[in-house]
Amino acid sequence: MIITPEVLNKQKNNFTIIDIRSEKERQKFPLLGLDTILFSDDESINVTKKKVLVCQYGIVTEGMIIEKKINNAFSLLGGAQAWVEYYNDNEDLSRWARQTVLPEIGIKGQKKLLNSQVSIIGMGGLGCPVAQSLVMAGIGKLKLIDDDFVSISNLHRQPLYSFDDVNKKKILAAKSKLKVLNPEVIIETVDIFFDNKNGEELLLKTDVIIDATDNIKSRQRIDQISKKLNIPTVYGALFRFEGQVAILNVNGSAGYKDLFPNLNTSVEDSCADAGVLGMLPAIIGNIQALEAIKLIVGINKNLIGKLLMYDGMNHTMEVIEL
Amino acid sequence: MINVKVKCFSQVKYALGVDVLTFELDENTTSIDLEKIIRKKAGKKLNNVPLRIAINQKYQKEETILQDADEVVFIPPVQGG
Repeated sequence: MIITPEVLNKQKNNFTIIDIRSEKERQKFPLLGLDTILFSDDESINVTKKKVLVCQYGIVTEGMIIEKKINNAFSLLGGAQAWVEYYNDNEDLSRWARQTVLPEIGIKGQKKLLNSQVSIIGMGGLGCPVAQSLVMAGIGKLKLIDDDFVSISNLHRQPLYSFDDVNKKKILAAKSKLKVLNPEVIIETVDIFFDNKNGEELLLKTDVIIDATDNIKSRQRIDQISKKLNIPTVYGALFRFEGQVAILNVNGSAGYKDLFPNLNTSVEDSCADAGVLGMLPAIIGNIQALEAIKLIVGINKNLIGKLLMYDGMNHTMEVIEL
Repeated sequence: MINVKVKCFSQVKYALGVDVLTFELDENTTSIDLEKIIRKKAGKKLNNVPLRIAINQKYQKEETILQDADEVVFIPPVQGG
């Protein structure tokens, strides 16, 4: 069983709190505000009172409770890391414990995610998995831009929509599903077709733009605005069993126009023309979401100035320096 | 003579029906020459498909003379989403 720092704080007098960490960890991250006993041997966890076991990140104690079949025991979600954050800043970030344990993310990175805003243009095959993964990762605010309705032909590849949503506005159906995933996320819906006139104003306060559109003209518009506002775009596009991802326009790095100069907008290969298997947008959309997260957190290994080409038929990838 | 490998993606792959092609080419063959060979091999299937070129995982903005053992990728724009 699991208990969050917030719940533990409210009910701490009902529990014996057992710190199983090493002395070095205890000194580095003391559990201020909690009366703890130290774990010495199996006897110490056999106290009859309800108990909370605390390790550094909440992973070891979860396994320990199951493995040793410890009765009346809870593992502190996110461990000492989450408690220290809760005690110091009154913020319970424990629901993201499995990603804050990653040194590349940590509490600092999670706070960046919670304070960031991402705009997704196009809530179709790519937009759905991107939105889903970003909300689950704890992005603070999402702006969903699309004027389309859900159709039956969308359902095989757009996991935010179900039969009940057919003929509803995509942005509204998506918002209701995403709020279930994380009720605290702020979602702004924009029911318009993205164009040159409205685009700049829509994207002004955005940290990252997600290009999840399905036509070259929109991609070119996004590129122009992204470059002008110096807001990075995470580009994604699909073709049958394949996809492309790139981070464009970061402080003068290559944009869509540099990748495909003088492109005629009549090139036809949309999903309706070429077909697409539902897993492909999920794969490519999740790579876009991953790159957006890395960009916001500040992880240097990323696709800035690079184009990733993925072939889902034989699982080959090319990463090309632009 | 030089040997060059072409890795095929997207419209190029579907037009040619293969994942990889190898070519034995004259020295001083350029990337544009190779594109012409690819387009000829594809018949009309690439007529409306603009292609960009990467050699050894580096995007080429200009025509480039190919070297022995180069790996070439033609990059078509794809737009599905």
